[in-house]
Amino acid sequence: MANDPNVAKAAAPKRGWHDQDHVPGIKSELLELNMGPQHPATHGVLRLLLQTDGEIVYKVTPVLGYLHRCAEKIAEGVTYKQWVVYTDRFDYLAPMCCNHAYVTAVERLMGQQVPERAEHIRIAVSELSRIASHLIALATFGLDMGAWTPLLYCFREREEILNLLERISGGRMLYNYMIPGGVRYDVPNDNWVADVLDFVDLMEHNKLPEYNTLLTYNKIFIERTADVGVIDAKTALDYGCTGPVLRGSGVDFDCRRDDPYSLYHKFDWQVQVGRGEMGTVGDCWDRYIVRAREIEQSCRIIRQALQQLPDGPYQAIALKALVKVPAGAAYTRVESAKGELGHYLIADGGQTAFRNKVRSPSFCNLQVVEKVGVGQMVSDLVALVGSLDIVLGEIDR
Amino acid sequence: MSTHPTPPSGYDVGREQMLDFKVDQQLLEVVETDAKNFILTTVDEVFNWAKLSSVWPVTFGLACCAIEMMATSATRYDIDRFGAGAFRATPRQADLMIVSGTVTAKMATRLKLIYDQMPEPKWVIAMGSCAIGGGPYFKYGYHVVKGVDFMVPVDVYVPGCPPRPEVLLDGLMRLQDKIRGRKGRFIAPKWVTDYAKLIPYRK
Amino acid sequence: MEPNAIYELLAAHLGDGALAFTEHPLEPWADVAPGRVADACRFLRDDPRLDFNQLMCLSGLDWDGHDAAGKGKSVAILGYSDDGQPEKSDRVATGELGVAYHLYSHALKHKFTLRLRVPRDAATVPTVSGLWSTAAWHEREAWDLLGITFAGHPDPRRMLLEEDWVGHPLRKDYVMPDLWNGVPLQGQPYCANPFPVATGGPDQPAGDKPAEG
Repeated sequence: MANDPNVAKAAAPKRGWHDQDHVPGIKSELLELNMGPQHPATHGVLRLLLQTDGEIVYKVTPVLGYLHRCAEKIAEGVTYKQWVVYTDRFDYLAPMCCNHAYVTAVERLMGQQVPERAEHIRIAVSELSRIASHLIALATFGLDMGAWTPLLYCFREREEILNLLERISGGRMLYNYMIPGGVRYDVPNDNWVADVLDFVDLMEHNKLPEYNTLLTYNKIFIERTADVGVIDAKTALDYGCTGPVLRGSGVDFDCRRDDPYSLYHKFDWQVQVGRGEMGTVGDCWDRYIVRAREIEQSCRIIRQALQQLPDGPYQAIALKALVKVPAGAAYTRVESAKGELGHYLIADGGQTAFRNKVRSPSFCNLQVVEKVGVGQMVSDLVALVGSLDIVLGEIDR
Repeated sequence: MSTHPTPPSGYDVGREQMLDFKVDQQLLEVVETDAKNFILTTVDEVFNWAKLSSVWPVTFGLACCAIEMMATSATRYDIDRFGAGAFRATPRQADLMIVSGTVTAKMATRLKLIYDQMPEPKWVIAMGSCAIGGGPYFKYGYHVVKGVDFMVPVDVYVPGCPPRPEVLLDGLMRLQDKIRGRKGRFIAPKWVTDYAKLIPYRK
Repeated sequence: MEPNAIYELLAAHLGDGALAFTEHPLEPWADVAPGRVADACRFLRDDPRLDFNQLMCLSGLDWDGHDAAGKGKSVAILGYSDDGQPEKSDRVATGELGVAYHLYSHALKHKFTLRLRVPRDAATVPTVSGLWSTAAWHEREAWDLLGITFAGHPDPRRMLLEEDWVGHPLRKDYVMPDLWNGVPLQGQPYCANPFPVATGGPDQPAGDKPAEG
């Protein structure tokens, strides 16, 4: 009985097409497929090494490093202020959030107080950056799902944000705006605050409903994303997912609220979590809708931050002054557009950091593909990677 | 060639710029007579005009500059106006590679592969300071190639970190000038040309 | 729970594996013996009083030349010179390597930091990727950039660089490569110094004055 081949075959787990003898004598094999590093659906120079069993993904191995720009080595060679430039280039879709993370880490080690006005400006520009990043996330996610038009709409609004940020910082896309102890320039006196408030109103009341009509509640879009790529809460925590990916899985956690930094505790806003409205909690649609709703919350934060903008200085340290950080080590995390962006900064009392390890959210979020991508169709894997909203600049650093 | 009179009625000014009729005296005469329904030109002229009007770039986004490249192809800047909006996902259908971002050691071999797969004629735009010369990653960038021209020949350099979309469009127009086989319309100020003579160029 | 209370629980569990606890106003940390770190992490994760269900960050560190007194006299790292050639140095690195673990509990909202140090020539640490899956990539990165081996790691390859890369770049004595696999990595700038600066401004690090003309 034990040697009965039928019994043994039934007991063995069914692994897939390639494991079974459909045609006696012909053994099928897994197909190795390279996706990337130059591929439109991998959001940059990510390479996914797939083993597919027909159309089903059997194993997925991300290969990183195609954009490894040695930023952590550079951190040990350049001064604290100079390295703000490189934080811009981590998450180049939301550079202000990255600036904010780094200067927060430096100020924490210095014990530096930041003027209230500077914090308000920082929060406003960070949230504007977050909106711009989420707009790209929605746009490229739609693009991955075959919807070209939302890209044009989202870029239209993104250009407005870039214009506003250019007026305050001088840079169109990468800003180098924040410095330890404040911000580089004050709010320009050309009606900037009113213009931002106008834009925020427009975004919240006019444009978001437009996106919802165009994409969010589109039947085809829902069919493509609901119940696809489900990341349950336990997996998300195990793999260190943060940001909209973690919140899309139903975990109510946001560094802005749960590990307070800056002045986020002063403002009235809500953390958005995925509720599985269209399918299971933690599917691609949930991650999408969390981002869409966070745009709305960011609008609320910006409105409060700018309406309550206090007078006073915007720099605690003069722009030309040398920044020296006393010896110490601390891990500081903030909520970037993609998730928890942490800096483990070790200072040795000099002008350059001794070590700066960057824990980037996309790096940790991407790893979950190794688990969740298995067993999906190849086209659903594209949906999964698109919904994670990775940016290769901070994965490879 | 500034002696050109006012264009005849119905004459498309945009077309004039595209073909750069002002420079070509022969074509100018043909258009001015406007009596017969034919046009005299050379085969090269027509081929180059066709090439420059449909430069198809390969989708080759590397880093930050790729986002500006996307912005250039998106709503406000609309690179399609210059015939270069058809981003192809395969190098075999493309004839322009916009190297938009930092070229790392790991990527450089792939970049060379993609360039080799593109059919002739092909052009390369180095977009951004990283692709031009390493940019901010020059000093400690152990994994960064200090300029994409170490790997592939470059036709147009577009400086900036990242360059604005207008600058990329200008770079594209300079490339079109180059394909047209004529000197570009851009005339550098004297101090720039004087300064350029002092620069010892890379061997 | 406060970090010192967490450390007391940890020390009671580990015995002599827990080496020291350092109070610091910003971030106190516990030093553990390298061989016992997987044991410590399992206890921190599974004990219901601690319940550290998230590994926030795992950092590989190179302590070579670190000045504990904090005068900023740490060893300067090597880069490329102004004409793009790798800089060389006779200095021999001696310091230890280390790993830092930053833990967070979503349920109890507390944090904890573990640190360990291993000798430079025998840098082997047990893996914690079986406890938190996110550690797998962080450990691969620490192996890649700092050369710390993680015993028992399921996939001990380099993370960012190619497999045939020589050396571990984030070590303080790393010499920049000039060529890898046919790809030139040394540079030759277009001009020696296009816009000469008279003196190093405040944004210039000390001792890194731009070269003349």
